[in-house]
Amino acid sequence: MTPGEVQRAEEEVLDRARNGDREAFGDLVERYQDTVYTLAVRLVGPDLAADVAQEALLRAWRALPRFRGEAAFGTWLHRITVNTAWTLRKRARRHAVQPLEGDFEDGGLRPERAGELAEMRAGLGRALCALTPGQRAVVVLRDVYGWSNAETARELGITEVTAKVRLHRARLRLRTLLEGSR
Amino acid sequence: MRNPLCFFASRFPGEGPAFLARHRACCLRCQAAAARERSLRRALPGLADEVLVAPPGLQSGVLCRLGEQDAADPRRPLVVRAAARYAAAAGLVLATGLAFAAGLARRQSRALG
Ligand SMILES: [Zn+2]
Repeated sequence: MTPGEVQRAEEEVLDRARNGDREAFGDLVERYQDTVYTLAVRLVGPDLAADVAQEALLRAWRALPRFRGEAAFGTWLHRITVNTAWTLRKRARRHAVQPLEGDFEDGGLRPERAGELAEMRAGLGRALCALTPGQRAVVVLRDVYGWSNAETARELGITEVTAKVRLHRARLRLRTLLEGSR
Repeated sequence: MRNPLCFFASRFPGEGPAFLARHRACCLRCQAAAARERSLRRALPGLADEVLVAPPGLQSGVLCRLGEQDAADPRRPLVVRAAARYAAAAGLVLATGLAFAAGLARRQSRALG
């Protein structure tokens, strides 16, 4: 299948799901559940990520008739995931646990990268877990997923200045954590 | 002991005042910190390529719980959406009640007149 054909096939599935076809939505869930879950893990940690991913996908189903395709479906889904993670953050705080060695490896990391790179990324993943939820959300959206400052601020319901300050503090803390772990 | 200028230079997001920019330009410690920050910012986007595998029950859990589609804003919290629905329902009940009361009053005034 060419990329164009893949896109047309996805649009067709999306159309069916938008019109209430549950089976078609099942196909979309299968296609996007890993990326939604990964974003949830980055935002709230592995303990609450499955709940956030499930709730985000359910919200997406309910809202699907209003999806007009202004953004890619994946982007739309990511915005819903961020919002869901954020509204469930009180639960995240109640479930707060200190990150353990190997949290991310146990989370089902695909064994496609090895050695130093994987170790550095695992270290980064652990350091991210040690940030406050607010700092983590900003650094994940800005530096990991490349969102703009305006978009990040809007989705998290904070001002752009707050987003900038949080990002700066988060990077500083990450550097300290990574230097401390060496 | 750490130079207080290094401390302030690290705490200021962006360039900050001119005296901090001048300090950064000639302080090896601040330059090393900036290099570490650059390498951190290069490493972070790599995490986006890493995709974790969703737990096995996620898809079936979602499909079991699919309700009706209501085209509601997915980014409005559930509580707010529920409150909006209840408010709409309460409004409808109130309007029906008022219409009923007005009808009764009309009938009574006709019976009296
Ligand atoms: Zn310095």
